[in-house]
Amino acid sequence: MTDTGFRFSTVAHLEYPAGPVATDLATLREGIATVPPGSLFHHIIRMVVRHPRAHDLPPNDFARWVGVALQDPETAERLAFAGTQPLLPMEELRVSLLRILDDVAGRKRPDIGTPQTAAFHFVTARSVKAPLGLEAELPEQVPEVWRQVDSAAAFYHLIEARVLGPVEDDLVLWLERNGGSKLAGVAESLTMGGMPLLRLHREIGSRWRRALIPARLVRRTEESESVRRQEARAVVARFAGRLRKTPQDGKG
Amino acid sequence: MNETVPSAEVDFPLLQDPTQPEMNGWLHRYERVVGPDTLRALEAIARRLKGHRIVMVNTTKTGGGVAEILHRLVVILNELGVPTTWEIMEGDDRFFGVTKKIHNALHGHSETLTAEDREIYMERTRREAKRLELDGDLILIHDPQPAGLVALRRAPGQRWVWRCHIDLSSRDPDHWEFLRPSVCQYDASIFSAIEFVPPLPIPTYLVPPSIDPFSAKNRDMEQDEVSSLMERLDLPRRGPWVTQISRFDRIKDPIGVIEAFRMVRARRRARLLLAGGGASDDPEGAQVLAEVREGAAKVKDVTILELPPGSDVEINALQRASTVVMQKSLREGFALTVSEALWKRRAVVASAVGGIPLQVLHERTGLLSRSIEGAALQTIRLLDNSDLRHELGAEGHAHVRDNFLHTREVRDYLAVFTSLL
Repeated sequence: MTDTGFRFSTVAHLEYPAGPVATDLATLREGIATVPPGSLFHHIIRMVVRHPRAHDLPPNDFARWVGVALQDPETAERLAFAGTQPLLPMEELRVSLLRILDDVAGRKRPDIGTPQTAAFHFVTARSVKAPLGLEAELPEQVPEVWRQVDSAAAFYHLIEARVLGPVEDDLVLWLERNGGSKLAGVAESLTMGGMPLLRLHREIGSRWRRALIPARLVRRTEESESVRRQEARAVVARFAGRLRKTPQDGKG
Repeated sequence: MNETVPSAEVDFPLLQDPTQPEMNGWLHRYERVVGPDTLRALEAIARRLKGHRIVMVNTTKTGGGVAEILHRLVVILNELGVPTTWEIMEGDDRFFGVTKKIHNALHGHSETLTAEDREIYMERTRREAKRLELDGDLILIHDPQPAGLVALRRAPGQRWVWRCHIDLSSRDPDHWEFLRPSVCQYDASIFSAIEFVPPLPIPTYLVPPSIDPFSAKNRDMEQDEVSSLMERLDLPRRGPWVTQISRFDRIKDPIGVIEAFRMVRARRRARLLLAGGGASDDPEGAQVLAEVREGAAKVKDVTILELPPGSDVEINALQRASTVVMQKSLREGFALTVSEALWKRRAVVASAVGGIPLQVLHERTGLLSRSIEGAALQTIRLLDNSDLRHELGAEGHAHVRDNFLHTREVRDYLAVFTSLL
C-alpha cells in the first residue's frame, strides 16, 4: 500500500514576455545567461507540448531562430543538439548553451545580426494546474489511468514536475517510492530519449501494460472462474469498441 | 454569392440553435478533432472557475475576426460551465470614424488625433458605460474601441483584462499615449504575439488567435463542391493555382505577388489568383485594386477576384483548389489565413513577418521567404514537388490542430482567468 495516491493534473501554460530581446548571437547569449530557468524550459523543453504529433521534433526555439533569422546552420544544429535531453537540470542546460555560443564567438567572423523585425523575444510561462479528478492508489493502477490523461498532463508529470517541481507531481518519483520501480524505470528511460510527446505518451502506456502482464497473470490465477470470465468479456468489449471507433487522423 | 452557402452547417451556432444539441454540442464536435482527453483537460481547468462569471465586450456582433472568434468562444465557455455573456458597445459613424483612425495609427499609419476626436471617443465611452451590463467577475475588453470603459465601470472585486488583437509594434506614439492611460488601469493585458507588445506596467500574457474548423471558411468540403464553386466563380478548374487571398492592401504586397508570379510563370505553367475584399468601402483599397489590375494585365494567367463580405465558403473552396497558397505580406498581424490554408493541408509560401513564423515553421509546415525572388523560388519548388507539398501539408494540419484551433485559445483564456480570479 502507498501512503498517498497519485493525483493527476493537467496544466495550461500561461505565456508572457521574459524581457530580453536578441538580434544577434551576442544578445542571444546575454539573454540565455540572464533569463529565469522557466524561460529556457519554455524555449527548449516545452517544444514537445507545442508539437505533440510531429514525426520528428523541430529544433528548439533558439536553434530555429539562429538557423532561419541569422542563417547560421552550424550554430543552429549545435544548439539544437544541446536541447535534446528533456530531463537535464536547467542550469546544466544553460551552461551547455553558453559554451556553444562562446565557442562560436571565438571562432567566427563578426556577428551580422538581424533587423529588429526578426528579433528573438524571450518568453517564459507559468503553469496553471487543474486536477483531472483521476487518481492511482497503487503503481499498477497507473497504466489504466494513463490512457485518460491528456498530453499536457503527461508532459507535466513526466518532465515539467521532474525538472521544475513540485516533487509531489513527479510521477516517476512517486512510482519509485511506492514499489513501482519497474514502471518508473520504463518511464524515465523513454522520457530521456526526447521523443515527440504523443509517441512518448503512447509508448510509455503500452510498455507499462506489457511490464504488468506477469503480475496480472499471477493475480488472475488466484481469481475465481467467474471473475476471470468477467475480465475476459471486458477485454473483448474494449477491443470491439476500438474496432468500431472512427480513426481521427483521417478527419480534417 | 451568399446563396451558395449551405444552411445550418455554416451558420454561426447560437446556444438556441435548433439544429444543434443543447448540451455540449460544440465541444462534442471538437472531440472528434482534438480527442476526448483534450476536452477532459479543458473541463478540468474550467472547474477551477466555478462560481465566476465572464463578460466579453467588443464593438460588433458580425464581421471581422474578433466577432467571428467570440461567437464560438462564448458558446464553448458556456458549454464548459463558465457562464459568459457578450456585450456590444455601440457607436455612431463619428465614433467609429475616430476608432478607425486610432486602429490605423496603432498599425503604423500616419493619422492625426484631434481634440474633437478625443472628445467624441470619451463622450461615447461615457454613454455606453451607463448602458452596458458589465456585472461579471472578469470583464474581457477586446481592442481599443471599448478600452476606456474600465475607468468608468470597474466595480470593487472585479478583474478587467484588455485583449489587444492589433500588432502594436509600429504604433503611432500620439494615439498610443491617448489609449495607454486607460490600458494601464487594467489588471492584465493579452496580446497575440510577443512582437506586438508595447511596454506596459501591467502583467501581459500571450494568447495567439485561433480558427474554427467547423466554420464556413474551414469546414470539410467535397471535391465536387469545390469544383462547382470554382465554376460559379468562372475560374477554370485546370491549374495549378497559386493563390493569395487577402484584402487589397499595400501591406499584403499584391504587386509583389504578381512580380513573383511573373518569375514563376516564365519557368512553369501555373495560374495566379489574387482574391480579396476591402475595395468597395475603402478609397485606398480601390486604388490598390486598380494598381493590381494594371499590374496583372501585364502578366499571363493572372486572375483578380473581388470578393464581397461573407464569401467564406468561396474562400474555403479557393484555398482547397490551390496548389500553393501565398501570403507575401510586408507586415502582418497574426495572419490567420495562413492557419486556414494549413488546416486544409495546403502548401504555403509566406513572408517571415508578424505571426506567420509561428504558423509556418520553415521546411516543416511550409516555406518562408523574404524577397520576391525567394517567394518565386519557393513557389517553383512546391509546384515541382508533390511529395514536399503533401509532407508540409500534413505537418501543417497537425500543427494547426495542436496550436491554432479554438480549443487551444479557450484553454489559454481559462488559464488567464484562473490566474486572476
